[in-house]
Amino acid sequence: MTWIIALFFRLALWLLLAPLLPGIINKVKAWVAGRRGPPVLQLYYDLARLWQKSVVLSNLASPGFVIGPAVAWVALTGAAMLMPLGPAGAALSFRGDVLLLIYLLALARFCTAWAAMETGSAFEGMGAAREVSYAVLAEAAIIAAVLSLSVQSNSVSLNTMLAPASGAGAVLLAAGLFTVLLAENCRVPFDDPNTHLELTMIHEVMVLDHSGPPLAVILHGASMKLLLFAVLLTEAVLPMRNLTSLAAVSALAGGVLTVTVGVGLVESLLARFAFRRVPLLLTTAFLLCLFALLVAWKEGAE
Amino acid sequence: MTVGTLLLFAFVALMTSIAIGVWLSRTWLALTIAATGAGLGAALMVLLGATDWEWRSGISPGGEPLHLRLDGLSALFLVVLCVVGGAGAVYSREYWSDHHYPASAPRGRMWWSALVSSMGLVLTVSNGLHFLIAWELFAICAYFTITLDRQQREARAAGWLYLAASHAGTLCLFAFFALLAARTGSWDLGPMRDQAGLAPLFWLALFGFGVKAGFFPLHIWLPSAHANSPSHVSAILSGVAIKMGLYGIVRFSGWLPVPLAAGWVVIGLGAISALFGIAFALAQNDFKRLLAYCSVENMGVIMIGLGCALLAVTHGDAPWGRLALAGAFLHVWNHAAFKSLLFFDAGSVLHATGTREMSRLGGLWRTMPWTAGLFALGAIAVSGLPPLNGFVSEFLIYLGLFDATTSKGASVWATMPAAIMLAMAGALALASFLKAGAMLFLGAPRTQAAEQAHECGNLMRGPMLALAGICAAIGLAPVVFWPAVARAVGEWHPAWVSVEAPVSLSVLGSLQAALAILAVTAAASLWRKVRANGQRRGLTWDCGFRAPTARMQYTSGSFAGIAAGWFVWFLRPERKLRRPRGLFPAEAIRLERVPETVLERIITPVSVAILQSYTAVRRLQHGSLQSYILYVLGGLVALALLVLLGGQQ
Repeated sequence: MTWIIALFFRLALWLLLAPLLPGIINKVKAWVAGRRGPPVLQLYYDLARLWQKSVVLSNLASPGFVIGPAVAWVALTGAAMLMPLGPAGAALSFRGDVLLLIYLLALARFCTAWAAMETGSAFEGMGAAREVSYAVLAEAAIIAAVLSLSVQSNSVSLNTMLAPASGAGAVLLAAGLFTVLLAENCRVPFDDPNTHLELTMIHEVMVLDHSGPPLAVILHGASMKLLLFAVLLTEAVLPMRNLTSLAAVSALAGGVLTVTVGVGLVESLLARFAFRRVPLLLTTAFLLCLFALLVAWKEGAE
Repeated sequence: MTVGTLLLFAFVALMTSIAIGVWLSRTWLALTIAATGAGLGAALMVLLGATDWEWRSGISPGGEPLHLRLDGLSALFLVVLCVVGGAGAVYSREYWSDHHYPASAPRGRMWWSALVSSMGLVLTVSNGLHFLIAWELFAICAYFTITLDRQQREARAAGWLYLAASHAGTLCLFAFFALLAARTGSWDLGPMRDQAGLAPLFWLALFGFGVKAGFFPLHIWLPSAHANSPSHVSAILSGVAIKMGLYGIVRFSGWLPVPLAAGWVVIGLGAISALFGIAFALAQNDFKRLLAYCSVENMGVIMIGLGCALLAVTHGDAPWGRLALAGAFLHVWNHAAFKSLLFFDAGSVLHATGTREMSRLGGLWRTMPWTAGLFALGAIAVSGLPPLNGFVSEFLIYLGLFDATTSKGASVWATMPAAIMLAMAGALALASFLKAGAMLFLGAPRTQAAEQAHECGNLMRGPMLALAGICAAIGLAPVVFWPAVARAVGEWHPAWVSVEAPVSLSVLGSLQAALAILAVTAAASLWRKVRANGQRRGLTWDCGFRAPTARMQYTSGSFAGIAAGWFVWFLRPERKLRRPRGLFPAEAIRLERVPETVLERIITPVSVAILQSYTAVRRLQHGSLQSYILYVLGGLVALALLVLLGGQQ
């Protein structure tokens, strides 16, 4: 019984906190640019408004256009439940849960991209093609990162494997994972969530034809994915094992906030890369994670 | 009912169905279903029971006593054969009906039964000589089913290529079995793990069976044979026939001792097959060729698991090998289920539209909702995504690779890259099947043929639904299937006998089931919310353009462009480009075709060079007696010189 209550509490925490992150990023960007910017809670208002709206469907769209975002959202929520939250651990933990988490993210990608292709629009085709292609390199980087965590902790379960090493390995891993975070969540320099020039976008262009509740579900799912990666990055590099519960929770919150602010700063200070340089940057992220893996392996072997 | 009776019944039924298949199509179907049902029963009895079935007889065809055996390992493959064999027979009744193909349909029925029974023989005989005979029968039956539609030039060429490749492999198998018989003094097969001298024979088996298994770079025959044969034949080729090659490798790596390097080579070949196979798949425009290359990838995935197990055996029977091998064996079932489903699906599209070019299709979901939905399910399964079966087996293989990596032995240098390549192959598979699904079923129809498509009938839908059910069942309740897989693992390596399913597998199963339920609930609620809020249909928002045409959609080539571009150094696409010219350009073309690079860029040139050298040598033989006498004289002088020089030493 307590487990179910804890699960619901955790679920509520994830669902309610996630839309905060894009708000913080926008605030940071506005602050750097010297503007006032939209309120931090803007995404909450947007979601509430979208949820009430009616929907325009493309003539060509099949039911998959609505089913896709729903399944993707479920997959992302499921992945969030597998993610340990500092001292509280994960809602569910078993050997190999990290693999399920990675593949749930892939399922979400498949469903979003499938829904995008429903409209037969060349723009959405472009976005979906970019999304699934760059994911190949991002996936390699994530697996390398996970392998390095797994090697240094001798475990294949998220609850125990997020026990970060200090030193060169942690720095490499942080840099690699942060780059993957930017790519997977379609932030600058991979994508620009602000523009509405479809030719330059990945994620935003995939959802061009979505409206109303499906769009709300997609946006909420995207914010959950951002939070998920921020938590993963924080726990992968911040040693919290020996802290008291309160200190660990504040360290986690502080870490997530730092990552979010970092994303905002990157977004303010960097321009979006040309598309042909995106694979190079992702390959760099992969190499960073691979070196982190080699460092972990070397330290383990000694 | 004993295993023996069931198998005897299946054999008799199949023989009768071969005999009458040409004339009585209804009876043929009943007999084939009965036979595959009986075979399935026998295989399950062996898999779920504890004892093997073995039968020695006094009859000696070819001078060797008949020895049949069905153990955990061969039963695992027999299940696949029976399921796909039965499903394909039902499917073919509508897909390749007498009405549409009066000439080839009767012949097709006969060869189908012959193919199924010859593969059954390969799985059960336990004598080297008889194995070779069964193997050859299987190769020939497969040739005749591939070339069923022999009016088509491509089908004949594909059949010829298959036959040539298959015999190159069989040549190695002749050497393998002959050497085995010479060294052990008997053609009888069985476990001989203690005779260390037999280890080098593994390389012969790996090549000989590998040609059939179609892993990279021995896959040259596979794409054209799969693409050009009728779809039910493609399904059995991909689901079962290439598994026979795998069966050979698994069988003899379990029975015979293997060289130390075997694990490294197998895992390496597996990783390369997985990555390059799927890279080729992504670049295809023909959806059946895409599926065929994806088979190369899946064979690679299975080989990664097997290679991991071989490494574990040489590292003191490490338990991670058991997980990886179980994953590989489960993937044999999974691949047979989802790939046959996808080939049946492809057949349904081909049947309705008459083209295999993805760029001529599109928007089929409206006229073919069942086919579209089942393709989406198959695509999720084949991309290894939860909550379906593909993820379960890849999960086990990953666990094996991760455990091997954390164990920090020397095998890390194989398992670490293999895990990364497997992840990349998984992401590329997702891209390939998203592309195929989107090009076939989503958007607007690109041609009239696609617009006027029709849904397939019940006899084609039934087998597809059954296979989709298997995909879902293995995904949602993997623990149920564990005992069968564990039995085969124990058969392969007796030290790994176990009954208990890993705890994570049962947790994973319940999580996948929960995920499936939640996904359905969420989809239904969102659908209801959309209905309640009110919906309006409109044009796709193409940047405000009011008159979109179907030709403005993204095509298969443009979708695959980015990722295929990374492999351009290997794929070597042939490009045809005519740029738009002038102020009012009339036409512009950009065509891209990815050839079967290994065949067209390596094997064909080498073969041509060899043939040319033969032609050059043939000039020596021209029928002029004087020259021949000169050759003899020259030869004698050369020999004399040799003797003289040799004598001086």
